[in-house]
Amino acid sequence: MGNSEKKAHFEKGELWKKIVLPGTIILLLILVFWGDNKPDIPDPISLNTQWYTPETARGEILANTVMPGNCFICHSVQIPDPNTIRPQFAHITVKLEHGVNDRCYNCHHLYDRDSLAGDGEKKISFATPEKLCARCHGIIVRDWKEGTHGLRQGGWLVKEGNTPTNFTCTECHDPHSPQFKYDMAAPAPSWPEKTLRKSRHSDDDPKSAYLTESIQERF
Amino acid sequence: MSTEDLKNQATNKADEQEPTISRRYFLAGTACLSVTTAIALSPLLNAEEVPSGDDFIQKHYKELSKEDKKEIFAKLESNINKQYGVAATISDPQPLEGVEFAYVLNLGRCIGCRKCVYACMDENNQSRSPQKQYIRVMKMKKGTINLETSSHDYPEKEASSKDHFYMPVACQQCREPKCIEVCPVKATWKEKDGIVVVDYNWCIGCRYCEAACPYHARRFNFAKPQVPAKDINPDMGYLSNRPRYMGVMEKCTFCLHKTRRGEYPSCMEVCPTGSRKFGNIRDPESEVRKIIEQERVFVLKQEVGTLPKFYYTFAK
Repeated sequence: MGNSEKKAHFEKGELWKKIVLPGTIILLLILVFWGDNKPDIPDPISLNTQWYTPETARGEILANTVMPGNCFICHSVQIPDPNTIRPQFAHITVKLEHGVNDRCYNCHHLYDRDSLAGDGEKKISFATPEKLCARCHGIIVRDWKEGTHGLRQGGWLVKEGNTPTNFTCTECHDPHSPQFKYDMAAPAPSWPEKTLRKSRHSDDDPKSAYLTESIQERF
Repeated sequence: MSTEDLKNQATNKADEQEPTISRRYFLAGTACLSVTTAIALSPLLNAEEVPSGDDFIQKHYKELSKEDKKEIFAKLESNINKQYGVAATISDPQPLEGVEFAYVLNLGRCIGCRKCVYACMDENNQSRSPQKQYIRVMKMKKGTINLETSSHDYPEKEASSKDHFYMPVACQQCREPKCIEVCPVKATWKEKDGIVVVDYNWCIGCRYCEAACPYHARRFNFAKPQVPAKDINPDMGYLSNRPRYMGVMEKCTFCLHKTRRGEYPSCMEVCPTGSRKFGNIRDPESEVRKIIEQERVFVLKQEVGTLPKFYYTFAK
């Protein structure tokens, strides 16, 4: 092997070293920084805060709220009739749907407008409506006192920092029309179609009718 | 031939057979290999989430020491701060002594308004898109409890109908959970207070548990969960509502970051009708215990033997 031949071979190796290795590294770097084309995901939409704001189900009929003004302008003149059935005169907008309890003075005190009717002539303050409700709905009021009826907030463990909030009867029920009239329902889930439990068997569907009727017949 | 000759011959042969790689071939081969590897790995660059090295070597939750947890929580908090710009705190409350949680739902009161569903989404940082919800409210015709004819996609105007009742179904926190039996990596387990939890870092996303659950209570993150930064709930629990990864399972944890502090879960506090009741079933004075003792309660799919701690009743 001659000296010149050796040199040529060495230069050839050097060429590979000079071209291929840096080339590879550059190619790798290009590949690494190439793939920055992530799909554009639109910003997720926030939930409507009303869908998760705690509130009671009272869903009040506006006319059934407290009447402003001085009651005694009328009531000092008018002699109260214990058999008054329908809300009259100024109270004509009040919708009374309290089952068979359709007399105003079953609950309102006959002479005192700022009190509710207790036993005999006794008065019940508007601040403690449960005492009035207990006169008919005793079992539910007992449950309510135990905490098994009605909404409660604060915490299951009584300790510092937890402020238990109990709601009284009239905070959830409109006393003139106690059934829930809550209409702030939140929308249906927007899941992918295949994971939704669709109402495949609607009420009109013969299969659904068969399933529900056959069970109802037994009762 | 002498032995020496034979030896020489052998060494000559070995010399001939020895593979000779020239520098040129070596470099060319290396280059080809690097390029093909880079091409093969390039889809990873488009992946939405690639776990870091620390994530890979992180141990199972139960094997973490206090120092490990501190380190991991700090790292997660800084990641959340980077991603959402929210100063979140990750807590890890332990089960309380002598406490076993139970839930009672009064179907006679529920009006199907779905507020619990969205309060849960808000509390637990659940993905807004694609939407993930733990609670499904089943609308059923009165006269039968037939899940076959129920629907959970009824429009909001069909809520509080007089001919129907509404049955919210979430994780039943079973005493005999089928989901933890099938997990091949033990990434989900039952805590001492009866809450079934998932270690989001240990879950491999095989979805066996989702298939095993008779209540369809588990949700899988097929895509990266998307939550608007301003809606992030900064009060996070490591096992409950911290941001989840793509490809892991999640489920209702009775809001354990709240309930283990003595608070109520979010779905209960938001219920406008008070049909939801939550408490410690071992405490004879608790609300749930009183209802279970006084009312006729039932559990969903009793026949599958999961012994849920989520009771339904038709009380007043």
